[in-house]
Amino acid sequence: MAIVEFKNVSRVYRNGEHEQRALDHVDLSLEEGQFIVILGPSGAGKSTLLNLLGGLDSPTEGTILVNGKDISTLTPNELAEYRAASVGFVFQSYNLIPTLTVIENVALVKEIAPNPLSSHDMLRAVGLEDHRHNFPSELSGGEQQRVSIARALAKNPHILLCDEPTGALDSETGVMVLKLLLSMARDMGKTIIIVTHNQNIAKMADTVIRVKNGKIKSCEKQDHPLAVEEVDW
Amino acid sequence: MLLKKLFRTLWHYKAQFISMVIMIALGVGVFLGFNIEWYSLDVSTREIYEATGFADFRIFSDSGFSEADLEKVLAIDGVEDATRYLSVNTAVKDDTDTIALTVSTNMKVSGIQLMEGEAYSDTDPEGIWLSDSYAAANGIHVGDSLTVSYKTITVSGKVKGLVKSSEYLICVPDETQMMPDYTSYGYAYISPVMLENAIPMLYRAVLGSSLYHQINVKSGLTKAQFVEKADKALGATRLILDKSETISWAEARGEVEEGITMGSILPVLFLAIAILTMVTTMHRITASEKTQIGTFKALGFKDRRILRHYSAYALIIGLMGSLLGIGIGYGLGRFILSPDGAMATYIDLPAWPLYAPAFTWIVIVLINVFLTVIGFLSVRKMLGGTAADALRPYVPKRVKHLWLEETKRFKSLSFSTKWNLRDCFRHKSRSFMTLFGIVGCMILLVGGMGMKDTMDSFLDTFYEQAINYRYRVNLDTENVSNEEAFALAEKLEGDWCAQRAVQIGDKGYSLEIYSITRDKVRFADADMKILTLSDDGAYICSRIARDFHLKAGDSITFSPYGGDEEITVPVIGVLDSMTKSIVMTAAFADRAGISYTVSTVFTDREDIPAGGSILNTQSKKSIMDSFDTFMDLMNKMIWLLVIAAIILGIVVLYNLGIMSYTERYREMATLKVVGFRDSRIGRLLIIQNMWLTVIGILIGIPAGVGVLQYLLTALASEYELKLVLGPATWLVSVLLTFGVSLAVGLMISRKNRTIDMVAALKTEE
Repeated sequence: MAIVEFKNVSRVYRNGEHEQRALDHVDLSLEEGQFIVILGPSGAGKSTLLNLLGGLDSPTEGTILVNGKDISTLTPNELAEYRAASVGFVFQSYNLIPTLTVIENVALVKEIAPNPLSSHDMLRAVGLEDHRHNFPSELSGGEQQRVSIARALAKNPHILLCDEPTGALDSETGVMVLKLLLSMARDMGKTIIIVTHNQNIAKMADTVIRVKNGKIKSCEKQDHPLAVEEVDW
Repeated sequence: MLLKKLFRTLWHYKAQFISMVIMIALGVGVFLGFNIEWYSLDVSTREIYEATGFADFRIFSDSGFSEADLEKVLAIDGVEDATRYLSVNTAVKDDTDTIALTVSTNMKVSGIQLMEGEAYSDTDPEGIWLSDSYAAANGIHVGDSLTVSYKTITVSGKVKGLVKSSEYLICVPDETQMMPDYTSYGYAYISPVMLENAIPMLYRAVLGSSLYHQINVKSGLTKAQFVEKADKALGATRLILDKSETISWAEARGEVEEGITMGSILPVLFLAIAILTMVTTMHRITASEKTQIGTFKALGFKDRRILRHYSAYALIIGLMGSLLGIGIGYGLGRFILSPDGAMATYIDLPAWPLYAPAFTWIVIVLINVFLTVIGFLSVRKMLGGTAADALRPYVPKRVKHLWLEETKRFKSLSFSTKWNLRDCFRHKSRSFMTLFGIVGCMILLVGGMGMKDTMDSFLDTFYEQAINYRYRVNLDTENVSNEEAFALAEKLEGDWCAQRAVQIGDKGYSLEIYSITRDKVRFADADMKILTLSDDGAYICSRIARDFHLKAGDSITFSPYGGDEEITVPVIGVLDSMTKSIVMTAAFADRAGISYTVSTVFTDREDIPAGGSILNTQSKKSIMDSFDTFMDLMNKMIWLLVIAAIILGIVVLYNLGIMSYTERYREMATLKVVGFRDSRIGRLLIIQNMWLTVIGILIGIPAGVGVLQYLLTALASEYELKLVLGPATWLVSVLLTFGVSLAVGLMISRKNRTIDMVAALKTEE
């Protein structure tokens, strides 16, 4: 069953007379519970795709359906509710609140998510229970990204959106984070969409979408994705 | 090229730059304005004292002074010049006005400054040189005739000149009248020849040489030296007052001192806020420019050039703010000191030039140097290390655990509370500045409106409550017996008072003896509560109590002026009084054997007989009317302070709010991405502002009261004021400060709607 459907979606940025078509009449359908990787060079439109799906941005034209609901016409407040209930984000630069401790950063989502999970459980799952009273600045990059994953999953979203989640990490830590992300999402039955330019990550995906010049170049399903350990990093 | 960048960057940070320019302009403006006020007044008053030969000493005698007496005084070693002097309140013909008719036998001492018409001539038999302010208020011109009378003596003449006089710089009939009222009271000078012609032959023969009750002296001697020499020369002890004991000198100096006091509090507050805002803002701006600073360094620009470039920002802000401030300062000076300005309703000066004391220019230059140094140091901090170091973005301070995090209560706080608490502590200077701005705003509001409450209460006590009569009938003490006065008081169903000039040490005071049976005059104690005079001793005013360290239970010794007799009486209370006086009941005075002549009767009756022993009659209404001008002046000052408080509040809070918003931009973007609504994020920002506002108000209230108390203490030599703060002042100060803070908070929180989540989250931590 399709959890996400893009129908003829375009996103055009205008700057004076200059017009940039970041997404150009995109049609796309994504299955629930899959691990999906969106690949493409810089400026291809992959982050725009992710932002539209995450409700951070709205399309210039077209329809985006998530779980059958059209999110392309939502008001800013409805979009905030959508983000609070349906999607979790993991960013390259973690985006934790520096003035909140690890546990508080995760528990933050309880204030807005309709069905949040236990923050303690989430921290335990990412192996940072012992660091719960530390501030983000007291953790390593990998640890901060794990907190970010715990926060994203604590909302109990349908979809987990990750924008270059390993981009700021060394390869060893990156592998560890990916492994964690995959195992947690799989165990919890989440749909994971990762935007990256790292071809290796694509080897682990159920579906690989290649984007170029704002268009979907290909959408391949992989019957036998590799395990994290099997990928040559 | 760098110059282009400079102007574009100024535009980019326009909110911060404009706030800093406004703050510095306000700081410099208030600083310069208040200093111009007191200094110009100081210079202008000294000029008229100099030009008109304002006397250093005044020797008084009931029996008058002859030319021989004057010669003796002139012969004293150290006396530069002297004059026989007469000033007597006369009634204007066909009018209720009073004119102080003045004669000086030597106009080089206690003379006049001509404003219009003929020069004064000491042999002119008909010329009157009239106060130009009185003439203007009553439509009198040069060439008009004027007739005044004193008892049976009538003086008629032609107005030949309009003048100013330093002796009447503050032209009030006595100390009970707070403000001059030229519509009903003025002064005029005539020549000694005209005076003698006006006095009937027979009368002149009886008076002999006692026409002049005063000798005014120019001398550089100290009072003690002069008193000793004068008493020796004249062969008798006389009441001698130095210039500081005259209304003209004391009140004008009081205004100067008041200006210095005001000039030392408000400007310091504004300048401190301006400089602290500059420190905080420049640091933030250079921090956000750090990668650009690094880029310049990486490109090969020398540190010196980069430092110069960024220091120029601070210098430009300083210069723009200073120029604007100089304009504000002169504007403020002009508002107070001009022929139509606030001060002109009080002090009667011939001209109102504005002078800024030299030190103000030095301070303004130093402020600019200081601001440039602040800019320089902020950039130097960002330039430290290698070019690669400089290229890295500024890393804010690490968050630390607060001591209160160990408490159970903290753990149960909401995330927004924890977030804001930690943010306040993390950005201590920003939080401190916000507090400082709010406290400053409160100080101005509480101080300004409290001053009005205090003056209102003062006027209410002294004029609405203490003056319980409609008319004050002044008697001719030389020609009235106490029996006649008692009979008149009885007939007019009034109370009466006798006044005697007394000395404590070498200072002159007034001894006031009252008989109050009909509640026409009341007194307020040191707490401004109305009390009934007891017959068991004397009351002293707060200023005498303070000057001589006296309190109820002590005793006070004084001498009636012109004699060696010493009187010691018990002090039974301290009064708040308009005059520096010792007050007692007639019953006590009789018992203590103090002699007196009734000088005033207080009554509500309108059928006051004219002439005879009655010199003149003053109505309560005429006294009250003169306060309208004073209160107008007060209200203008209060409005200025309220406006200044609001500008200060808005500018400081907006500047810091924008800073806080910029610094938390990324955090807010994260919250927005996670799913927080704009309104919720806006509330987060406002809550912090509200906390700081509440704390600022809590600190600001006692600080405002403290500043007001300081001002009142500084003004204590002029008025005996008791601090009063009305409920409206509390309410308006708190609500206005809260309102300003909330309005600024809302303005800033609206900005979070435009947060670009995508761009914010792409930037590097």
